[in-house]
Amino acid sequence: MVVGIALLLWAGWHNLRERRLAMQKAQESRVVLTPSQGDQGDQSDSDEPHLRGKAAPAFTLTTLDGKKVSLSDYKGRAVLVNFWATWCGPCKIEMPWFEEFEKQYAAQGFEILGVADDVDAGKDAIAKVAQKTGVTYPILLADGKVEKAYGGIDVLPMSFYVDRNGVVVEQTAGLGSKDEIEAHIKKALASGATATATAAGGQ
Amino acid sequence: MRLSVVVTGVVLAAVGSSVAMVAHQVGLFDGPAKTKMYVVYSAEAQDVAAGKRSVLELRFRVVNGFHVNSHTPKSELLIPTTIALQPAAGVKTEAAVYPAGMAYSLSASPSEKLDVYTGDFTVKLPVVAEAGAHTIDGTLKYQACDHAACYPPRSLPVQVMFTAK
Repeated sequence: MVVGIALLLWAGWHNLRERRLAMQKAQESRVVLTPSQGDQGDQSDSDEPHLRGKAAPAFTLTTLDGKKVSLSDYKGRAVLVNFWATWCGPCKIEMPWFEEFEKQYAAQGFEILGVADDVDAGKDAIAKVAQKTGVTYPILLADGKVEKAYGGIDVLPMSFYVDRNGVVVEQTAGLGSKDEIEAHIKKALASGATATATAAGGQ
Repeated sequence: MRLSVVVTGVVLAAVGSSVAMVAHQVGLFDGPAKTKMYVVYSAEAQDVAAGKRSVLELRFRVVNGFHVNSHTPKSELLIPTTIALQPAAGVKTEAAVYPAGMAYSLSASPSEKLDVYTGDFTVKLPVVAEAGAHTIDGTLKYQACDHAACYPPRSLPVQVMFTAK
C-alpha cells in the first residue's frame, strides 16, 4: 500500500516535471515577430535605413548636360528624388508616370530629380533611356556619395518624397502603383504646405 | 490555450528556421560586408577523361522569387549573366556554353519581353585536362530583379573542382 502510494506520488511528480520541461522548451522555441520601426507597407528590405521624418541629405550633382544641381535649389518646393538605372525595368515603367505627375502638380510646387545610379552605363545610354521614357525633368548623375547619404540604394527604383521644408515624408523601394505614387506626391505637397502655413501663422 | 501557445511556438519556430535556411542559402558566398546574393552555386566534384575534350557542368540556382538576365538579354542596356574563368595549370578551356533563357515580362509592362534565368540553370564548360585534380577559379556576374524591383550587379565566386582520370 505504502509502496503504491509512493509510486503514485512519484508518477505525479514525474509528469509535472515533464510538463514543465515541455513548456520551457515550447517557450524557448517561441519566436516573437515584431515589425521594424515605421516600415509597415514599405517594400524595402528590413535592413534598409529609413529617412522618413528626417531631413533629406543635401547633394550637388551634375546633370546630363553638365549643369550643377543642388537639392537646396528646390527649397520651398516638394521634390521627388528618384534613384534609377538603365538596367532596371521597373524604374522605366514608373518614369513616364512621374513625368505625367510632374506636369499635373507643377503649379502646386512639385518637382522631380531623377538620379541615374549607373554612371558606368555612360551618359549616352542614360540619355537614351530618359528620352525613350519621355522624361523631361532633370536627370542627375550619381557620384557614389549621394547613394551612401540616402542609405546605400541597394534596391531600385528607390524614391524619396521630400516636402517643402526638406523633410522626407515618404520613402519607397520597388515599383509601386500609380495611385500610391500620386498619394505620396500629395502627401509631400500637403506636408510642406501645413508646416509653412503653421510657421506663417506663428509669426 | 496552452495547446495554441505550443502550436504557435512550433509554427513560428518552423517559420524562423526556414527563414534562417533561406538566409543561409542566399548568404553562402557572402563576404564580410554581408552582400546579398540572389544566385547560389552548387560546387560538385566532377570526373572527366584525361587528355580528351570533356564538358564540365556548372550548376547555379536563382533564389526563389528572383530572376537574372540570361546571357543574351533582349536589350543592350540589360546586364547579361556571364562567367569569367581564370587560367588553370594543365587545363585548356573553351568558351562557356550558356543555356537559353525563358521569356518573362513584368505585369506592369506585359509587352516588354525579357530573357531570363529562374530556378536552376547550368553553364557548360568544355575542357581538355591533363590527368590529376584541378580547380578552376572564376566569377559569375549577374544582375537580379524580382517582380517589382532590381538589385545592383553582383559577382559570385565560383570554384570548379574536377579530376581528370
